[in-house]
Amino acid sequence: MFKSIFTLGAIGLMSSAAFANDTPITGNVSSKCSIFTDTPGVYGNPTPDELSTESADGGVAPVLRIDVSIADYYTAKISWPNAFSTAPSLSDSVAWDGEVTVSNTSDTNMSGYEAAKLEYDNHTEYELTVAGSTWFSVMSEAKYGVGKALPGGEYKANVTAECIAD
Amino acid sequence: MKLVYYAVAAALVFTGAAAHEMTPTYPKMKPSYIDEVSTTQMRMWNRRNDVFYYEITVFDDQWNTVPFATPNKVIRLGFLETKTFDVYIRDKDVARVEYICSTSKQLKQDVQSTGIKSRICSRVK
Repeated sequence: MFKSIFTLGAIGLMSSAAFANDTPITGNVSSKCSIFTDTPGVYGNPTPDELSTESADGGVAPVLRIDVSIADYYTAKISWPNAFSTAPSLSDSVAWDGEVTVSNTSDTNMSGYEAAKLEYDNHTEYELTVAGSTWFSVMSEAKYGVGKALPGGEYKANVTAECIAD
Repeated sequence: MKLVYYAVAAALVFTGAAAHEMTPTYPKMKPSYIDEVSTTQMRMWNRRNDVFYYEITVFDDQWNTVPFATPNKVIRLGFLETKTFDVYIRDKDVARVEYICSTSKQLKQDVQSTGIKSRICSRVK
């Protein structure tokens, strides 16, 4: 009785081995850029004529992260806002200012990004020469016409983050 | 060094970051089934839970727009959804095509105080 059970078991194992199949998992790492919104920003209103994302002014600076899977394939171009996307009707001009800085990196070799950045108008460009993640903090400030208080209402502006293939 | 890795891993896990992704980085134009029109296939993945629309644009090396066709110039892409789309360009314009870009389009009511508009540009070589 036991002999036949063992024999059947052995046959079962052998036959299942014969039908066993490899299930491969394949993948490849290709160049890729991902833009992450890490922290949405908030404008503080330290004085009646000013909106600012500086923490000292009661604001929150937006933080975004750019990941590149392979080095030297992309340039990051980050632009601080120079217009409101939503605002009450404004009768005077708004003076915009801003600053983009690298706030964190996943690789110590990215420490040179800040010194090598290229700034023009409201844009800042970084050559992403190391694979990994880089966090960028964007400071934005809007000052309304001389001696005028900003009208009450909701103000929104957009930071633009671009990943451009080299 | 280990601490840095842990910090990065923790940040990735806990910040609930949302991303916009488009591949390939270097698409290649090939003849399409239409005479005198070339095509290439792009793939997008939306990991931004605050954005559901992306606009497709094509530029030359001076960032002038180049005429193109695609089933939808503004694509609706749900959170964690992937979409593959074809971009068609006339053969006479192919030589000057440099960038194929996708730009996030946020609905007015979805933008927070300072929203982040993301744009990824692949380069046609």
